[in-house]
Amino acid sequence: MLGEQRRAEHEGALTEPASGRLASPDIRDEFGLETIDMNMGPQHPAMHGLLRLILELDGETVVRCDPVMGYLHRSKEKISENRMYPAVIPITDRIDYMNNIAMEYGYCLAVEKLLDVEIPPRADAIRALMNEFGRIMSHIPSVGFLLLELGAFTPILYAFRERERIQSIFEAVTGARMMFHYIRIGGVKADLPEGMTETMWEYIEGLEKRLQPDFVDLIGGNEIFISRTRGIGKMSQEKAVEMGLTGVPLRCTGVEFDVRKHYPYGWYKNLDFDVITDEAGDVEASYRVRMGEVRQSIRMIKQILENLPEGEVLGDLGRRLRPNEGDGIARIESARGEYAVHVVSDGSDTPYRVHYRTPCTVNMQLLQEIVPGHYLPDIMPIMGLIDPVSGSWDK
Amino acid sequence: MQTVLNLLEVEPIRLLISFGAVLFLVLNLAAVLTMAERKVSGYIQLRYGPNRVGPRGLLQPAADVFKLFTKENVSPGRSDLWVFLGAPIAMFIPAALVWLVVPFAPEAVVADLNVAILFFVAITSIGALGVVMAGYGSRSAFSLLGALRGAAQMISYEVPLILSLLGVVMLTGSLSLVDVVQAQGDTIWTWYFLPQLPMFITFYIAGLAEVKRVPFDLPEGESEIVGGYMIEYSGMTWALIQAAEFASMAVISAVTVTLFVGGWQPPLPFLDLGPFNWVWFGLKTALIMFTFQWIRWSVPRLRMDQLMDLGWKILVPVTLIWLFVTAGAMLVF
Repeated sequence: MLGEQRRAEHEGALTEPASGRLASPDIRDEFGLETIDMNMGPQHPAMHGLLRLILELDGETVVRCDPVMGYLHRSKEKISENRMYPAVIPITDRIDYMNNIAMEYGYCLAVEKLLDVEIPPRADAIRALMNEFGRIMSHIPSVGFLLLELGAFTPILYAFRERERIQSIFEAVTGARMMFHYIRIGGVKADLPEGMTETMWEYIEGLEKRLQPDFVDLIGGNEIFISRTRGIGKMSQEKAVEMGLTGVPLRCTGVEFDVRKHYPYGWYKNLDFDVITDEAGDVEASYRVRMGEVRQSIRMIKQILENLPEGEVLGDLGRRLRPNEGDGIARIESARGEYAVHVVSDGSDTPYRVHYRTPCTVNMQLLQEIVPGHYLPDIMPIMGLIDPVSGSWDK
Repeated sequence: MQTVLNLLEVEPIRLLISFGAVLFLVLNLAAVLTMAERKVSGYIQLRYGPNRVGPRGLLQPAADVFKLFTKENVSPGRSDLWVFLGAPIAMFIPAALVWLVVPFAPEAVVADLNVAILFFVAITSIGALGVVMAGYGSRSAFSLLGALRGAAQMISYEVPLILSLLGVVMLTGSLSLVDVVQAQGDTIWTWYFLPQLPMFITFYIAGLAEVKRVPFDLPEGESEIVGGYMIEYSGMTWALIQAAEFASMAVISAVTVTLFVGGWQPPLPFLDLGPFNWVWFGLKTALIMFTFQWIRWSVPRLRMDQLMDLGWKILVPVTLIWLFVTAGAMLVF
């Protein structure tokens, strides 16, 4: 529907003179130059899934950029209303398919607030542990994607090597490589398998060694990478706050905001970590922030593994959950920004309403605001700055 | 047998036959290069590359060509059909023609023109025509952007490319590529890449831009304009564009070797292989092509304005300064 509406608006806009937006109207009139309308996506390799950009180009300069969402809309919120509380978890898995575990985590936290139950400490620690693995698993490929969109094909394969190894850890712990369905209401599905802490420890130490040569020295020091990313997608702190950005796009402008730090939930209260910020607010800064966050995640995983509490991992809440009337809200820091879930109960065994506040939907505003004035190839690094996931902005 | 050799004495027939041989070589080279490209990228990217078809995957190019032959040739509904179909040919022929003047060995050159360098310069600049034709004929915003980028890039990189040749021409005093190679001698320190180092580097960079390889593959720009000028091609027309790209990459490497790295000359006199000196030529060309592929899989792409900056603000001044240095040195010594 939105697409249709946008198309109508767009066609209307074509007949109107767009001279207000053009870089040099005098020259344009003198030579009778026109802008090109270009439709990028939804089937486009660099659109992070199914995003459509309606672009107006003056040569290579973007005059206007209208993102059109909705090509991967799967009615997550409506489906959630028709399923029993525990059965919604697999639905949430598919929202942000690069960072699934955080999506489960947010929903379960919201339902637990609704039910007002205590979580066994070991389950809480394992949740945070897996969530941080999930963050690494999302941040490293996102740097790979950024480079892929700049035209370097190799880093994505190095990034996916790390992702595959973490996926193997997830497979051993949860039984699935991608759609985990691991975090449950009241705890986690199962305890860590035998010897898992050693495997995790080994992997994390290996990653710490590989991070500098593979992802910092090879990428961050590359002259072409710097020239393509420095100053691109630059935004001020005020602008970022005004647009309601969260996550890396906000932190790379220098605003220190991290839900884990400022509204701590679960095991994060017991962890010692820094909020990584950068002053520049451009694509290069977002890359540095992501790398810094991976280091912080490694630090947190080490802390969790060092003192992992013993005990149960899943409390007994009965077979059928019937929360009292009311609502529960949970905010968590997913790899892309603040992810919030609002669950409203009417006393039955299915939620009355579930709302997922996904960071990508909000962060995508950047495109409309920041892209005009940049060159066409700069759209790709700006997409890398936001690092959106199709499933996450469409739900 | 004797009659065949006599036929070779007749100039037009000799040219025809040797050009046929060169064309055969170029087409096969393109196939070998696709394989090399995929293997090199595989090893750079922690994977094996093709290894299923034939022994160690060596028949992969044959399978690819077979697949492309059997594919339907789709052309966009509103395309300018003649321009659209002519573009791959207009790209391939210049890439193949340059091989006519490249000396493989002292006697093994199709046409030892006394203006071979001029011929090379003239023919390579035609390559831009094919790109513009492809972009214009497809009638798509993406391919049009690719074609415009291609034209701008190839024309602006033509200037440093030609300027960087001039040093060699000055030192040799001849436009014949055979003369250039012979003037370089059979020791590695007398080859022109040492006295002409800035020119060699400029030629290498401009050559990379000329054949549209990363970091100068803006006309393709697969992440923003998804293949650029070749976005609408399929089947054999696409294969021809690919073959043209690989052939021009090979020819730029071969010309680099001929001009700066001593052509068929062995690096040291005792390594002279006599009639098999073309092996040296082949090895050096392969080395240059390997560096092209190495760069291809290691660095990101530049942006159009940065590309222009590099060409006009750095490469052209460098070549001009070195021309003066060369001229001064020739005057003094």
